Amino acid sequence: MREVTAVIAENRAIARDIFSLTFDCGEEIAVRPGQFCMLGVTGFPLRRPIAVCKAAGSLVTVCYRLKGEGTRALARLAAGEALQVLLPLGNGFYLGAQEKRVALVGGGVGIFPLISVIGVYAGQRALYAYMGFRNREALCMEQELARCEKLTLASDDGSFGFHGTSVQAFLQEVDAVRPDVVLSCGPTPMLRALKQGMQGRGIPVYVSLEERMGCGIGACLVCVCNKTDGAHARVCKDGPVFEIGEVEL
Amino acid sequence: MADLRVTLCGVPLKNPVIPASGTFGFGREFDELYDISCLGGVATKGLTLKPRPGNSVPRIAESRGVILNAVGLQNPGVEAFIAHDLAWLRAKTRVIANVAGSTLEDYGEICLRLDGLVDFVELNISCPNVKSGGMALGIRPEHIREVTALAKASLKKTPLIVKLSPNVESIAVNAKAAEEGGADCISLVNTFTGMVIDIERRMPLLANRTGGVSGAGIKPIAVRMVYEASHAVSIPVIGMGGITCAEDAVEFLMAGATAVQVGTQNFTDPLACPRIIGGLNEWCDRHGVAQISSLTGACK
Repeated sequence: MREVTAVIAENRAIARDIFSLTFDCGEEIAVRPGQFCMLGVTGFPLRRPIAVCKAAGSLVTVCYRLKGEGTRALARLAAGEALQVLLPLGNGFYLGAQEKRVALVGGGVGIFPLISVIGVYAGQRALYAYMGFRNREALCMEQELARCEKLTLASDDGSFGFHGTSVQAFLQEVDAVRPDVVLSCGPTPMLRALKQGMQGRGIPVYVSLEERMGCGIGACLVCVCNKTDGAHARVCKDGPVFEIGEVEL
Repeated sequence: MADLRVTLCGVPLKNPVIPASGTFGFGREFDELYDISCLGGVATKGLTLKPRPGNSVPRIAESRGVILNAVGLQNPGVEAFIAHDLAWLRAKTRVIANVAGSTLEDYGEICLRLDGLVDFVELNISCPNVKSGGMALGIRPEHIREVTALAKASLKKTPLIVKLSPNVESIAVNAKAAEEGGADCISLVNTFTGMVIDIERRMPLLANRTGGVSGAGIKPIAVRMVYEASHAVSIPVIGMGGITCAEDAVEFLMAGATAVQVGTQNFTDPLACPRIIGGLNEWCDRHGVAQISSLTGACK
């Protein structure tokens, strides 16, 4: 974990209300798939926790959706401007040596942490990706997604691919694909449907959670989630990736 | 190099900068980022006798220039702190154990448990985010006097800091009440009670509905309260509320504080405390101030 003054290399729209931001940390940063960073936005007291999408050497790319004033201010930053970044944070996704067939199930901005899995494991593992978008205007990252063994796109409005959610698309094929492990990220209702659909199948499912954060490093206890054993876990430090049976959704 | 050392209730601190309770855990996470032995001390996450799960999420919200939190005193309990974190933290820096109770008796009991084990006990009678205890005991001067006296009776070795709520009629009267109850020091301000509404969902943004407002936006109010409180008592004062840089810290010192606490800025800039310490040194050098302690109450 390091605090760096990064320099923005590129910050551009890649789909409707979705921006891709690449910054140079000035030093090589080792980021595991599924880890995130806290981005400082001048004038805003809270940093924005955003999943790392790609990391190569000193260059790190994150993607974010325009949601409020903070992300709108972030979108106005141009190449060459400085950015305070704390990274890499959280546990990230781990793949065991035996986990050769990997299903990736993403929805909305939840596809971006899964892109980081593709970046590391494409070609080494058989990746079966199920990616859901609101509509055609939201579609992005097709080139990265095409590196998977098999790609199924889904759209909420049926304008392309499977008409429905990525979870629905995945559950139709899970018995045929027989993944060793499932990695997922997306809106809570989607993760809930995945939990229900995967119950009793004996396939481990790991989900990356999102929560409003304070410090991002585990000190302030702001971003807790409820564990099924009744305890609280810190999304930023104990997560953001949890085994799906471990957490209440 | 200016002399940044200050003395609080007879306890020497290497500098007056202390991360505020609730923003810094027990220091372990920030110590992964920088060596926290550079700090004047650490005010721990609020401790209670028994572990507390805290409130539901969302526990944090942002508004212009401020944040609101409603964590609800989630903590592992005082015994877990003593067993797992205290020795480590005390080897690093001065430990200010922030404590909270649900009842008057809780305050006595937890102080008794910590007496002699920590450098200071900071009595949290000003948490706006818990239903019983917390702020309920920190609003009326007679209650402040009573809970302070009870805590003081349990502390034979460790100095007692009483952390005051700003959600009160007169901060000067309440500061005086803490002094009369036997406080060795007061710290202020805790957060202001506030609320943010999500207008799309027509619901409060925080699960707790209300939360404590902190951050740069509250600073002028906090400075005024530190100024009024420090003029009402003869015990030392720890100032806090919206400190983001060394100049802000100097302002609190001039208002009458001997030391300062930094809270929200630890989120905005995780290196805030060491940056402020470095900035204080530069500020003193630039202004020909040999000893930072000479700034306390320097506002004419």
